[in-house]
This record gives sequence, C-alpha cells and structure tokens, in this order.
Amino acid sequence: MTDQDRFAVVGILNEEPAPPPRRRPSRAPVLSALLLALIVLGCCFGGLMTAKDPAYMDLANTNLPPGGEFPFGTDTMGRDIFSMIWSGGRVSLFIGFASTLVSTLIAVAFGSLSGMAPGWLDALLMRLTEILLSVPNLLIVVFLQSLLGTPSPAGIALVIGVTSWTSMAKVIRTEVRQLRNSDYVVAARCMGGGFFHILRLHLAPNFVSSIMFMVVMNIRGAIVAESTLSFMGIGLPLDTISWGSMLSLSEKALMTQSWWVLLIPGLFLVATLLCMTNLGNALRKRVNQRHSNL
Amino acid sequence: MPDALVEFQHLSHAFRPGRHIVIKALRDVSFSIQKGEIFGLVGESGCGKSTLARCLMNIYQPSSGRILYKGVDLCDGKARRQHRRMLQRERQLIFQDSASSLNPRMRVERIVTEPLVIQRIAPPRGSLRAEAEHQLRSVGLDASCLNKTPVELSGSQRQRVSIARALILEPELIVADEPIASLDVSIQAQIVTLFKHLQLAHGFTFLFIAHDLSMVRYLCDRTGVMRGGRLVELAPTRELFSNPLHPYTQALLSAIPFPDPLRERARPAFSAPPPEPAREGALVEVTPDHFVLQSPSCT
Repeated sequence: MTDQDRFAVVGILNEEPAPPPRRRPSRAPVLSALLLALIVLGCCFGGLMTAKDPAYMDLANTNLPPGGEFPFGTDTMGRDIFSMIWSGGRVSLFIGFASTLVSTLIAVAFGSLSGMAPGWLDALLMRLTEILLSVPNLLIVVFLQSLLGTPSPAGIALVIGVTSWTSMAKVIRTEVRQLRNSDYVVAARCMGGGFFHILRLHLAPNFVSSIMFMVVMNIRGAIVAESTLSFMGIGLPLDTISWGSMLSLSEKALMTQSWWVLLIPGLFLVATLLCMTNLGNALRKRVNQRHSNL
Repeated sequence: MPDALVEFQHLSHAFRPGRHIVIKALRDVSFSIQKGEIFGLVGESGCGKSTLARCLMNIYQPSSGRILYKGVDLCDGKARRQHRRMLQRERQLIFQDSASSLNPRMRVERIVTEPLVIQRIAPPRGSLRAEAEHQLRSVGLDASCLNKTPVELSGSQRQRVSIARALILEPELIVADEPIASLDVSIQAQIVTLFKHLQLAHGFTFLFIAHDLSMVRYLCDRTGVMRGGRLVELAPTRELFSNPLHPYTQALLSAIPFPDPLRERARPAFSAPPPEPAREGALVEVTPDHFVLQSPSCT
C-alpha cells in the first residue's frame, strides 16, 4: 500500500487544470502584406518584365487567350493584357495613394480645427461636414469632374480625395475634443504653443493610431471609386489604362467570350482590395488590443 | 513693503454648465501676491482655488473683476496680446495630476525642453539635451530619465519632470495647483522641500494651492483661506495658525490630524460653521496684515 492509497488528501487536484482557453492572438497578416508588396513592386517595375508597349494595338493578334507570347492574352483591340496590368495598376495605385493623401490632409486639418475651435465654430464646421456626408458621393464626384474638364489620373485622385474626407474628419474631431482638455495640451497653450505646434506634438501622435484603419480603407475606397467611375465611362478615358478602364472593356469582351479580359484585371483588383482590407483589419485589432490593455 | 506682483481686484467667475444653472466659483475675491513670496491658498474641495489659478493663467476668462500682473490687466484681451510673450515666459503652471500633464508619447527630454522650443529660445547650455539634463539635476533626477516616457516614471519622478518643465524658462511666477495632492505622504515632504529649495535658489514668486494645512504651514509665507468662492481670511502663515479669527479657519485648523491616537479619539467631530450668507462681505484688517471676512451686519 502506498501513501497515496492510505491518505486521502483533501482539496488536492489530481489533474492539472486545463489551461484557460486563450484568445488566439491576432496574427500579423503576412500573406496579405507579401501579396500586396508583390503587386506594388510589379506595378513599379512592371515595365522591366515585358518589352511590349501596353498601348500598342497589335491588330494581328486580337482576342488571344492566355499563353505563349501573351501570358494573360490580348484584348479586343490587340493590346497585351500582361503589360496593361502592370501599367494600369500603377495608375490605380497612384490614384489610391494620392487621393488618400489629399483626403487625409483635409481630414486632419478640418477635424483638428473643428476639435480645437470654440463651440459655435465647431458646430458650424460639423454641420457642414454632415451636409457633405449626406449628399451622395457620386453626385459630387460627377459635378467636380465636369468642373475639371478632361479627366486625368491626378484630376481623378484630387476629386476622389476631396469627396472622401468627411467621416475621417469626424473621427479626428472627436479624438481632438477629448485630447484638448488634457493637462498637457493646456500646459502647452499656457507656454504659448500655437495650433500647429500642439497639433504636431500633442494631437497627431495621439490620434494617428485610431485613424490608421480609416487611412488604409481610404486607399481601398479610392481604388474602388476609380474603377466604378471608369467602368461607368465617366472616369478615365479608354486610352488611359487603369484597372478600372480595363474592366470597362469587359462588356465587349463578354460578347466575344474572351473571359480573360474581364477576369484578369478583376482578379488583380480584388486581390489588392482584399489584402488592404486584411491589413486594415489587423491594424484596427492591434489598436483595440492596446486600448484594452491599458 | 515689496511691491505686488499679482493683484486680484474683485474677481468673480461663474460657470454656466446648463441653460439655467449658474455656479459661482469665485465671488468678489481681492488680494495681492507680493514679489518673491510663497503664497499658500487652502480651502475645501470646490471652493474655487483651482478656478482662481486657472483665471490667473488665462485658461478661464473671469466673469468680472481684474487681475493685474506687473500692472498688465490679464482679463483685457488687448493688453494681454500686447504682452503675450512676456506673460507666456514668466508664468508657469504645475498641475495636480502629473500623469495627465505629461504627454505619454513624448520622451522626458522633449517634455522638459518644450517651452524653449515653443518660445524659440536658444538653450543657454549649448544643446537642448544639456539643458534638459541640467534642469533634471536641479529637481533631483539624473540623466538616465532623459530617454524615458512618462509611463516609465514613478509619480514623484513625473511631478519632478513637470517642475523641471515649469522652471526651464526661469519664470517669475509659478502657480502650482495642488502639486502634491496625488502623491504619497513621504513623497509629499520631498517635493515640498524641493519647492522650498528651488524658491530660495531662483527667487520666483509661488502660488501654492493645497488642502494639506501642515504642508502650507511649513512652506508658505502668507496664507489665504477660501470658502465657497470667497477669501475668508488672509494672514502671514504664522499669524494665521497661531491666531485664527474666522470660524471657518478655526474649524479647519482644528481638523489637522495629530499623530497620536488618544488625542485623535478625544477630538470632537469636525463641524464646519454655517456657510457665509450670500450678502456682500468685506475683508477687514483686524491686526496689521491680518484680514478677515466680515459681513457688514457683524461690524
């Protein structure tokens, strides 16, 4: 007989308790980041991979399926889709980043101005934002487009940027309202710190994490907006190649049963957007986690 | 008698948090702070001490009355703008909560030198870093703190950092709004001793707001007692503590805890005298330099 049989030990646990179910740590979206980097790099240096001119219409080789000389096939006008993807991606990504730059700058300026302003000015600026927010975006875009005249990538980026800053400005304004009563902002004002000093040193570092998600989503939104506009024929003209304008050719392509003209630019667009959504979500999760740890 | 650095003249301030709610935080407060003295301001919570400090720092615009700083009317926007640089350099504020008065995303070096950067003053000791290090030394911290963020510091270290930040412009007036209230008792003594030492070294004028009477007794030259937005008694600290005249001051002084349980148990419960009638009262000089609030009917 062993000791263990003779004595019953009260209160001892025979089994090690199962480890409490741990929340799966949110993994960094490595795959999305890699894929996105690949696409961005391809767009930047795509010209080196292929010797073909994306705008050259090779009338002897129209509507060829993928394979052989043309890895992604050719469209109804005989342009090489492989080289079009890379140069069109450059335009799409440029529009995404440039318009996000524009909208973020406007949102930061507008949001922090409204947040720091006295009550009546804040109310005025916010009502203005809400008016803009309540008018359908597409309407403003079409209106601004007609003002600018011939659409160009830079013009479209500007138009999309000018129309998509409102919700970000509202988030920034809320954050600034909270921050501006904190003692270090009061202290900086007592020392004579101006608006831009306080914005740069005290406000921006503290609200940047909460708008990071919106910034990434803004890039995504701008690319979608450009594709939508181009698809509807009010965006870039057909001779400027972007993923959106490539998709706008698809109606014709479908009639000739050439699926690759539609599918390949669509695949690239969807992959890019998916990667960005993933990255944005991961960013948001990280910010939330840090807040809950405090 | 040295000349006054700050003069409050019939200062009143009311908050209007709602349409029909008016909170009178300051009612007709008049007194002056002499150059180079440590002025203590005591009173219960919500009696208007912090409002007074914030009016003095131009964070609030008082409803009526004047504050003269070196003859400049701080409540007059025009005069204030004219002397903006001078005011920003010469008045500094130290907050109660050291955790929220320092930006959590900045390193100590940048926090301490922020006033120099804002005022575009070339650091007298060569670089900003050397200047920050010097200031930290003078408040009893060493250079290893320079690269830390406020989160990595203890409460007393943080308060020392905010003192260093207030001192870096060599100000004439430091307003400390309950600088020791959020600290441990042993640390409070350290910080108060530091204040006394720094005041001797730099000779600044110091408005020290507290509700701990024993600290005020140790540190301050003159003390004012506030209640319900009014100054009820004002006297040199020694005189105030040995010969309190206003019933509220007497009650407040009787409530100072004494480290002896037997004596504490025997002590009658604290009872504040009924609040001042809303009527106008005036500070009357009872003995030289000793002022007491008296309602007109009593005299």
